[in-house]
Amino acid sequence: MSEKKGEISYGEPVGVVTAQSIGERSTQMVLRTFHSAGITSQVVSAGLPRLIEILDARKKPKHPTMTITFDKGVASDYESVKEIKKKIEEVRVGSLVGSFEENLKAGTMVLNMDREAMTEHSMTVKKIMDIISARFPDVELSNEGEKISVRYKKKKDIKSVRTAFVNIRGEIVSGVEGIEKAVVNSEGNAFYISTSGSNLSGVLEVDGVKEENVYTNDVFGIFNVLGVEAARTAILNEMMQVFAIEDTKINVKHAMLIADAMTHGGTVKSIGRHGLAGDKESVFARAAYEETIKHFVNAAFFSETDRLRGVAENIIIGRQISVGTGRVKLMIKNKDLEKVKPAD
Amino acid sequence: MYAESIDSIRFTVISPEAIKKISVAKLVVPDTYNEDGYPIDGGLIDQRLGVIDPGLRCKTCGGRAKSCMGHFGHIELIRPVVHPEFARLVFMIMQSTCDSCYRVLVSEKDIDVLKNGEEEQTASMSKLKSVKKCPHCGAKQKKIKFERPTFFYLEGERLKPDSIRDWVSKISNEDLAIIGIDGNEVRPEWAILSVLLVPPVNVRPSITLENGDRSEDDLTHKLVEIMRINHRLAQDIDAGAPQIIIDDLWELLQYHLTTYFNNETPGVPVARHRSTRPLKTLAHRLKGKEGRLRYNLSGKRVNFTARTVICGDPNLSINEVGVAQTIAERLTTPMHVTHWNIEKAKELIERREYPMAVNVITSEGLRKRVNESNRIELISSISPGWIVERQLMNNDFALFNRQPTLHKMSIMAHRIRVLPGKTMRISVNATTPYNADFDGDEMNLHIPQSIEAIAEARYMMKPTDVILTPRDGSPVMYIDEEGIVGAYFLTSSNTYFEKDEACSILADVGITELPEPEKDGRYSGKSIFSMLLPKGMNYEEGEGGAVVIKDGKLVEGFIRKQTIGSGKGLLLKKIYVDYGGEAVADFIYKLTRITYRVVYSKGFTIGVKDYLTNQNIEKESSKIVEETREKARKILESYKTGKMEVLPGYNRRETYEMLVHATTGSARGTGVKYIERTFGTDNMAFLIPTLGARGGIQNLVQGLMFLGQQSVRGNRITRGYSGRVIPYFKRNDKSPEAKGFIASSFMNGLEPKEFYLHAMGARDSTMGKALVTAVSGYLMRRLIHALQDLYVEDDMSVRNAAGDIIQPIYGSDGIDTIYETL
Repeated sequence: MSEKKGEISYGEPVGVVTAQSIGERSTQMVLRTFHSAGITSQVVSAGLPRLIEILDARKKPKHPTMTITFDKGVASDYESVKEIKKKIEEVRVGSLVGSFEENLKAGTMVLNMDREAMTEHSMTVKKIMDIISARFPDVELSNEGEKISVRYKKKKDIKSVRTAFVNIRGEIVSGVEGIEKAVVNSEGNAFYISTSGSNLSGVLEVDGVKEENVYTNDVFGIFNVLGVEAARTAILNEMMQVFAIEDTKINVKHAMLIADAMTHGGTVKSIGRHGLAGDKESVFARAAYEETIKHFVNAAFFSETDRLRGVAENIIIGRQISVGTGRVKLMIKNKDLEKVKPAD
Repeated sequence: MYAESIDSIRFTVISPEAIKKISVAKLVVPDTYNEDGYPIDGGLIDQRLGVIDPGLRCKTCGGRAKSCMGHFGHIELIRPVVHPEFARLVFMIMQSTCDSCYRVLVSEKDIDVLKNGEEEQTASMSKLKSVKKCPHCGAKQKKIKFERPTFFYLEGERLKPDSIRDWVSKISNEDLAIIGIDGNEVRPEWAILSVLLVPPVNVRPSITLENGDRSEDDLTHKLVEIMRINHRLAQDIDAGAPQIIIDDLWELLQYHLTTYFNNETPGVPVARHRSTRPLKTLAHRLKGKEGRLRYNLSGKRVNFTARTVICGDPNLSINEVGVAQTIAERLTTPMHVTHWNIEKAKELIERREYPMAVNVITSEGLRKRVNESNRIELISSISPGWIVERQLMNNDFALFNRQPTLHKMSIMAHRIRVLPGKTMRISVNATTPYNADFDGDEMNLHIPQSIEAIAEARYMMKPTDVILTPRDGSPVMYIDEEGIVGAYFLTSSNTYFEKDEACSILADVGITELPEPEKDGRYSGKSIFSMLLPKGMNYEEGEGGAVVIKDGKLVEGFIRKQTIGSGKGLLLKKIYVDYGGEAVADFIYKLTRITYRVVYSKGFTIGVKDYLTNQNIEKESSKIVEETREKARKILESYKTGKMEVLPGYNRRETYEMLVHATTGSARGTGVKYIERTFGTDNMAFLIPTLGARGGIQNLVQGLMFLGQQSVRGNRITRGYSGRVIPYFKRNDKSPEAKGFIASSFMNGLEPKEFYLHAMGARDSTMGKALVTAVSGYLMRRLIHALQDLYVEDDMSVRNAAGDIIQPIYGSDGIDTIYETL
């Protein structure tokens, strides 16, 4: 096969081809978010809901998860990986409390700390008290062994006392905010950390974590920390991941085109009315998609001009579309025309 | 093409002056017909607005119902009313301008920056609303509030439409330009209506019911009401009625106008017909799936089409379609008369039966139907440049389509074969891209009507032109089911045919040469297969050469699903790439016929007998089931005693469920392994799934051994009564069979409890399928809308309609995806 033969043709409507390829496959996908069972403990959202999540460019994925691998030396050392895991996993005051009593009227609360949980996360009563008093200047703290007494200083209504107490119990004492759970897994003899919850910038700041070894399925997190180019790659990878889990084959170029289309404006835009389809230059194309009235009304008020360059608007006005064979015109030179005149 | 001259379309708001200019009649009477059933002059069916009754003539253009395209009228509103759709935008303008000097709330300095910056910019209206003091006159800005749908308040005081109009009309064009409005095109005061444009009657036709009563269109009803209130308002004002009454009527007029434009305006009660049916007003006509935009403007209807039931025909090539005689007689294709085919054209005009000419189009573009009276005349006057529309004949091209049209292979060009019968027929091998079967499916046939369309169909849209899908580069048309079985029989190492057999097999597909015979004078299946291959072809498949074709001859291995079947179809792809589409069509056609022939000449059948060959299967089944139960019991025990190791990231209950589900779920796999071990390829029931011709070994397991774990929502079945699915089980029974593990086989039959669980699983999967089609259908619509403008430019970059570069080179290498194999 010659190289020329394999080239994509001029005018090829690659967007539609991609949409059809992805769309046709999505018909065969399952609707439920399934959890990959058994060995790996990660909750992997997959199938159609995940695909839609990616294409919608949701700010937060439903099941955010991170994978943190380590370089050879560290990866085989379970203890040091576990240490890093401890630094990453978010620990809230509440999870270190065995039991608690609160008296909202008096504005007091007693936290009975769980010693086991505290040693597990290498926490001391003192440390916890320091953190609470730093964050909540309105409370007075005292302790008696593992019992921490909290008193709300200002006389206020029960509601605000309660909010303060709930917030104290929800206060993060260690770890990275947003990493609800972290688990040490192994592949071969290399240990790695997988998490539920994602916070890319937070995790990157943790000692012992190398940038190139961190992965998250949170496209927006990647966009915010690493920029559009990285977000584009993330969209591409995540889409391919969905198809890999479904065990369906799809050419990467389709995922690439979608990722490029979503990010070519410098930000991550969704497929749909608030993204690519809603940002088109043509009034007709937008009106034919969704929110017809809104688009016409705004177009009229701001005296917009439809330049009729896209596909949808040309269909509407009844003209040949501007992609595929509709892009090329066949012409013949007048002097060549003479040659084809009948002989006699 | 007339439309070619449209360069762009500009949207603006129509001005009162423009309305009066295009209006042919000022409407004053809030009624339609008089007692005699005659349209009232100055009423809503005024004959100056056009006519819909046959026989009447339009008083403006003199045309009849068909030739008059209708004319606009107008109503002069006695008090101005806010256009509900523009209300919010008017409000935003008011927020952005000073309430005492009516200048835009941007300082001269900032205006200068905006105007003379690198690019001309506009100020964001959402930012100007927070400006507290006018930078021009220094006035402190009053609080202005907007309430849906059309209420404006200044410092808590209601602003009437006339004062809104006064406000916005005082804003200069220069200031409007700063907030992005071109005052020469659109003045904001035009959004406050003082004149209402009334659409022509043929936009809102009345229908005459059987009993002779007239029923008016919803729009007419609404307009009558607007006029009625307008009239009353005028009377009350003249009579000097109290302000409250006038204001009430004014508000009522506003309500009717609001619902006239959009009867679904939030915050407004829906206007209803006498029968309580909500009125369909202007916005409804445009909106949504059945609206003007999507139904009529984006969805074009065409002539030269046919639709009937389809059926299969093994004698057709994948590039052909069988068309019924009746259809071929009715549909036409244009034949451009030239110096070379003029005799043929005359012949067609002369004919009185199929195939004949139906219409002729003269060089002036006049279409004439061929009939007895003009036949002779037409033949004598025909000359090159005319077009003859003749009936369909064999080898014409037609586009064939089945809905849902999910991908480009859902519309392909087939060569017509006019055949007896009333159905349209296609090759069985061509059904996959359409996802068609013959249980009553109908398909559509379109006849291209221009030379460009015919050429495009013929050279780009044949099934063999699109046999490789751009999705993953695999063929969408291939050999399957009995074809795979036949190919296996044909190309197995021990298949030999006598000379007469070989002759008849090959002659059946039009091959009149014999391959090299073996030493004993017989012909091997492999050599017969090789006759179908392109000459000199070389091909290798699988690691270490499971299938090897050398110099056009199959020398190693047998032809399997990977070679010619779905998924990969490697050989088909190779033939397409190296020898072209026609070669693939030829290969598929011949191979299908030969394999079918081999299957029936050799005899291929399965019966219950094939399933009952193994006496130990019962024992083995109960062994696997018992092992599964035992494993589950052990997990339960460790769960109860607390010895179970909890999986990281899960709690104990979840861990237990996951472990048990994994165990019971793997039982079927164990069954598959057993069957694979004990059944041989001499067993036809086993051969079919092994070759990949149809079904899987799982079907055998479920038939002969046990059904295995049923699941709902991806988990073991737990729903139902408290602690149990059905009352048959004890409460909190966590055993495999209480949670959907079925130990019976289809052969032995299911217990009632098992049947129930099985039905639960079946329902879940049926519902899942139904839901997924709706969700993925919408996803596909969104994808198409987002990506439809992308195309490859001549520098191989991907661009959108505005010309922005999406990809500098398509897919980073510019290679078409059909040429890539995954």
